[in-house]
Amino acid sequence: MRSASSLWGPLVGALLAFAIVGFAVVYSGLYNIAADVPHTQPVYWLLETVRDHSVEARARDIVVPNDLNDPTRISKGAGQYADMCSACHLAPGMKRTEISQGLYPRAPELRRKTNLTPAEQFWVVKHGIKMTGMPAWGVTHDDDLLWDMVAFIRKLPELTSEQYETLVKNAPKHEEMMQKMEMDHDHEHGGEHQ
Amino acid sequence: MRHASLLLLLVACLAGVPLTLALGHEGHHAECNDTTINAVKADIQAMSKGEAKTTATKEMETAQQLMAKDDMEGCKSHIHSAMEATEQ
Repeated sequence: MRSASSLWGPLVGALLAFAIVGFAVVYSGLYNIAADVPHTQPVYWLLETVRDHSVEARARDIVVPNDLNDPTRISKGAGQYADMCSACHLAPGMKRTEISQGLYPRAPELRRKTNLTPAEQFWVVKHGIKMTGMPAWGVTHDDDLLWDMVAFIRKLPELTSEQYETLVKNAPKHEEMMQKMEMDHDHEHGGEHQ
Repeated sequence: MRHASLLLLLVACLAGVPLTLALGHEGHHAECNDTTINAVKADIQAMSKGEAKTTATKEMETAQQLMAKDDMEGCKSHIHSAMEATEQ
């Protein structure tokens, strides 16, 4: 039976070898970061798993408004979605855009059903996701507008292309909503942020 | 003369069939090259787990095997099938 002290040599050797390989991969330019060459499956799995658990952990304490089915919210969200999201996430009846085909990782097509909860969707919309092209809309939009977007995104998989077009056509203009948001901020000064 | 006209009409109709079939899939740009293969693989990675993803993955594996054997037509056909699976 080997003593504990005799195990230190191989362990240190293995750690050193691991560090050297890691150093070589990072500094040699070996790993291709081009967006037109997908990650290997293990790397993709690692990044996807980190992303999913990170979102899940951070969205846990978010309080979801109970009016996500409110038609006014959905309508306001539709206008914002058409302006800010559809170029990457597409919409019912919409062909793939140049940007959606070039993004990597691909932006999920939100007309398909998702496993994300409303709180997780809100967190993603508000904070964005590093190195995916998903921006943090919370930098420029208040929580209320972001919940409008979530309300619409929840509704999106049920919509036909005609229903989508109608909703967008009748939605308040994005600029008007932004102006209203700024005016509300001037009046209120400080609301609760999640 | 009348037979000749009918024959000409028939030939013209048949000649249009492949064009019609091709137009049916005009949305898919199924070239057999690394760019297309990488693009479809990226699409597949983004799919949720399920039957469609399994089908698309298998089709792409076959396409790559055929590409390695220089069977470009077979490769294109399987890339096309993989693309269709990604849209399900």
